Amino acid sequence: MRLHPLTSLAAAGSTAVITTAAASWPLSVTVIAVAAGLSVAGGVARRMLPAVAVILVPLVLSLLAMHGLFFPEGTTVLAQWGPARVTVEGLHFAFERASQLSAAVLVLLLWSFTISVPDLVAALSTRGVHARFAFVVASTLTLLPAISSRLGRIRQAQEARGLVIRPGIVGRAGAFRWQAVPLVLSLVEEAGTRAAALQARGFGSSGPRTSYREVPDPPAQRWVRVVLLLAAVAAIAARLWQPTAGA
Amino acid sequence: MSRSSPPGLAAGIEEFVFPGEQEPVLAGLEVSFAAGSLTAVLGGSGSGKSTLGRLLAGWLLPGDGGTLTGFLELAGTRLRFAGTTADPRIDPGSWGRQVGFVPQDPAAAVSTVRATVAEELAFGLENAGVDRESMVSAVRHTAALTGLTRLLYRDPATLSGGQLRRLAIGCAVISRPAVLIMDEPFASLDTDGAEDLAALVRNVVRDGAAVVILSQRADVFLHNADTWLVLAGGTVAAAGSPTEIVAAGALEMAGVVRTRPHTGLRPLADAGYSSAFAGPPALELRDVSFTYRAAQRRGWFRAQPGPPADIVLHGLSLAVSAGEILAVAGPNGAGKSTLLRHLNGLLQPTAGSVLVKGRNIGGQPAGRVAAEVGLLFQQPRDQLFERTVEREVRFGLERRQPAADQAVQQALAAVGLEHLAGRHPAELPASQQRLLALATVLARRPSVLALDEPTVALDGYGLAALDRVVRSTTAEGAAVVLVTHDLDYARSIAHRLVRLDAGRLLPAD
Ligand SMILES: Nc1ncnc2c1ncn2[C@@H]1O[C@H](COP(=O)(O)OP(=O)(O)OP(=O)(O)O)[C@@H](O)[C@H]1O
Ligand SMILES: [Mg+2]
Repeated sequence: MRLHPLTSLAAAGSTAVITTAAASWPLSVTVIAVAAGLSVAGGVARRMLPAVAVILVPLVLSLLAMHGLFFPEGTTVLAQWGPARVTVEGLHFAFERASQLSAAVLVLLLWSFTISVPDLVAALSTRGVHARFAFVVASTLTLLPAISSRLGRIRQAQEARGLVIRPGIVGRAGAFRWQAVPLVLSLVEEAGTRAAALQARGFGSSGPRTSYREVPDPPAQRWVRVVLLLAAVAAIAARLWQPTAGA
Repeated sequence: MSRSSPPGLAAGIEEFVFPGEQEPVLAGLEVSFAAGSLTAVLGGSGSGKSTLGRLLAGWLLPGDGGTLTGFLELAGTRLRFAGTTADPRIDPGSWGRQVGFVPQDPAAAVSTVRATVAEELAFGLENAGVDRESMVSAVRHTAALTGLTRLLYRDPATLSGGQLRRLAIGCAVISRPAVLIMDEPFASLDTDGAEDLAALVRNVVRDGAAVVILSQRADVFLHNADTWLVLAGGTVAAAGSPTEIVAAGALEMAGVVRTRPHTGLRPLADAGYSSAFAGPPALELRDVSFTYRAAQRRGWFRAQPGPPADIVLHGLSLAVSAGEILAVAGPNGAGKSTLLRHLNGLLQPTAGSVLVKGRNIGGQPAGRVAAEVGLLFQQPRDQLFERTVEREVRFGLERRQPAADQAVQQALAAVGLEHLAGRHPAELPASQQRLLALATVLARRPSVLALDEPTVALDGYGLAALDRVVRSTTAEGAAVVLVTHDLDYARSIAHRLVRLDAGRLLPAD
């Protein structure tokens, strides 16, 4: 069965909200493990890893530095340098926050890497989402692939003229300085021509629009979405009602 | 012919100037295209054809895109422009519903936000709110007219040059616009594609649309046009029926290429060729097979099942000796461009090997092979990335060496672009872009020259430059492999002609 893009969005969103609201590290760790497992099973783990690292490494490190070193309520001191004290409570708190954050980031990234962008855009436009907004969503979600294919074409043009690039990601990264300026210039130029073409073909004009791509949305999935949203709302309500729960 | 109804599209352009420029690109030009007529606008490189086409089609908007003085008239409504801020604004969406346009670079027509050819075809209909049943039948009908039926579920980004041209044409005609403007639509189409397009144009004209074809070449088909307009220096230099124009000799003056109607097959330029250069062949292919890796996702998250990847090249073997010119012909999507990309290592064969001067280039980075093999890409825009013409040619040469300066000068002079060294490559007309791309290849003095449809977009002067270059480099001992759909051209220059069909090499004819 194929998941409707909004169903998977609801699942990812409510999982992120619930883990954040619950603030319980066993739950966060479970979510992380499940998300990691799904990304491997889905064959997206390798593509997802760089994005995960870019987002999470600085966040987790700064959390550790902030709470691990400076946690006023901490009593069990492990080490101390002047005002900085490493306390068990501080580390625990930092770990809790880091796992909570990682869980939320991971499920949302997993969603964005596994979703079919054309399906999402079609789903949005059949729901009467405003044309300009659909345009922004479509072009944002296709931006990364567009940039990487542009980059690939410039790289090939340069290789055809004797720029030696070793195969593999390291070689490519090393040669990136040759492509940076041409890439930016060509993206700017392309954006202009692309906009003219899109407008002339009626993209962005007001009025009703239809969708050629059919994205099946069985009633069962609508119910699942409602349940997921209710669960997220309930989690937030419980959190507000009982602010200390879990922490 | 007297018609009481207003013309489908008309324009009176006193002047059109691009932003930041002084010289007008179009000036003193009055055109009118009647419903149910076919007009060919012919002109050499830089005559202003593409600018005129984009302006008439609403792809270049007066105001942001440049300063227009004059008028545009569509379906009886005349918009007057004085080049001031009080000028009317064209709504490209509603203009585009009445005027279909095929741009010179077919990639520019593709929205890039649609995942398959079918969705891309339907894109304009979706935006007009057409119901799904009508869209499905329109897509099927248009695909049949343009030969895209077998490609409907392909990602537009993986189409070959000619397939992409067909898609651009399909996107323009699917909504049955009252006016259809096409810029070099026959370029890089194979014989079937050209016949399909000719039939399509005839039908569209019969159904009452005004069709305008912009071209550098007075193709055989264009002799069916009601009117020829010869454009030179941004203005109409001659107008009349094809016979009148030919009689007046206006084409040669404007640099328009005239194709002779086929009168049997011409013999090859030098049928009994034997290389004057000793040693191993300059280029050799041994049992080369290739399949594009499917970019599909594996695992559970596969969105919609795509077709399995086809084998593109089937065990090709081929040898080209130094000083020899080999022409490769074959239908769109046969794998010609794919083959050329193997010659300089941009693609590595899935089986078999490629040898340059007797050395296997397997596993070598393309940048290394490039010292020996120069590749002219099918789309010059994919080959150019620098800010000026001069920098473009210099890229990759040893820097700050007098030899490099000399190589740049010589390469630019060989294609006749030395006076444009400071210009931005993207601003050059298509013909000069191709010549510039050729200069970047020549500057490296390769011993194998691979040219992908080098004649496309070249005007008469450009063709002469190409001819000179190919003949002089082979005289110096380079081997040339050129891909073309223009068999007449192939026979005029090549020593040997082969056909690539569905990934297999066949002797021609
Ligand atoms: N990146 C790609 N991924 C998958 N398939 C591709 C890719 N590029 C080309 N193809 C397919 O491979 C086949 C051969 O393409 P190629 O560009 O070599 O054709 P061609 O002979 O040059 O055609 P044309 O005359 O239209 O230029 C075509 O079916 C094309 O759609
Ligand atoms: Mg090709």
